[in-house]
Amino acid sequence: MALINIASHEIHCKIVYYGIGYCGKTTNLQYVFKSINPSVRGEMLSIATETERTLFFDFLPLDLGTVYGFRTRFHLYTVPGQILYERTRLAVLNGADGIVFVVDSQAEKFEENVQSITELEMNLRRLGKDLTNFPIIMQWNKRDMPSALPVAVLERYLNRRRVPSFEAVASSGTGVYATLRSISKRVMAQL
Amino acid sequence: MEQLTNLIISDHELALISNVLHKLMNDTSASSVMLLDKSGQVVTTQGSSTRRNATSLGALLAGAFSSSRHVAELLGEKDFRTIFQQGVHENIYTTMIEDQWLLVIVFDKLTHIGLVKVLSKKACDELSRTLERVRADTTRQKSSVLNIQFRSSVEDTIDLLFRD
Ligand SMILES: Nc1nc2c(ncn2[C@@H]2O[C@H](COP(=O)(O)OP(=O)(O)O)[C@@H](O)[C@H]2O)c(=O)[nH]1
Ligand SMILES: [Mg+2]
Repeated sequence: MALINIASHEIHCKIVYYGIGYCGKTTNLQYVFKSINPSVRGEMLSIATETERTLFFDFLPLDLGTVYGFRTRFHLYTVPGQILYERTRLAVLNGADGIVFVVDSQAEKFEENVQSITELEMNLRRLGKDLTNFPIIMQWNKRDMPSALPVAVLERYLNRRRVPSFEAVASSGTGVYATLRSISKRVMAQL
Repeated sequence: MEQLTNLIISDHELALISNVLHKLMNDTSASSVMLLDKSGQVVTTQGSSTRRNATSLGALLAGAFSSSRHVAELLGEKDFRTIFQQGVHENIYTTMIEDQWLLVIVFDKLTHIGLVKVLSKKACDELSRTLERVRADTTRQKSSVLNIQFRSSVEDTIDLLFRD
């Protein structure tokens, strides 16, 4: 949940990038890290295994500076995608103010995406979140892959709630900021 | 438990909290004491050793606590409240308050862990009343803090900063 500290005039919000292994969550954060104004970003932490996959989470704090008297910060997290780490995903989701569900658009990943979004909804319910009001958006990533499914298909089966969605090629940065702007504004609107 | 959307901490509460943390730090000769919310946000920190990296430490300590808690759960332990990380020079003692907050104490080998345990328990009791008040009342003052000017200003800032 967002932490609003009246005494120190600070607001902290937590945004989590969720999705299957290799869908491009870490790539989103890395792109933001390397392209954003350096005064906005903090240190990026990646807790990875020796094989370079995200074991625990990635963490990137962003500082918008003082907005109308309040130091406003967004903390971006990713979850580990592998099935094995369900517990870790639940831990990282704890206290999330908003979620970007990153979809690997490739046809061969379709089933895994479906399972992952079902799991996410279950986890959010477990955490007592009301899914109808909770800020969540979709990112259709890897649009550059030859086997990418048409967006209309993804919309129909993976976006039943008709939340905002963005096409992306995170590895080249396309769509990364559109996604980040959208989720940030939704999170702020819920405060 | 229904999850909160906001936690709003007032001047007065922060002063109370800081006071308790300061006393705990002095009485245990700890190098730092931090209060986090369990999702990793730093409420406040006292002492020098954690100040520079407070944001990263908050995220990592909350992650470590949460993961240890799940380990304990899988082993059938229901009432998991503390973790103790013992280093060569620095030790870290983390304890959960009211299922919502984490109190973190960083101390060196000159401080006995027993003292830390007892005094942190006492501090938790003192903090829990204030923290419960914060948790229970999540609507207060929100409108005055997050007024319309703030909201439109934050949208503009997002548009300005979150782009290539
Ligand atoms: N072709 C292509 N590759 C991508 C895209 N986004 C990420 N990748 C690559 O996919 C792999 C996995 O990405 P990563 O961000 O580590 O996935 P994570 O497991 O979700 O964190 C990396 O090799 C990325 O470079 C994309 O849009 N198109
Ligand atoms: Mg990753």
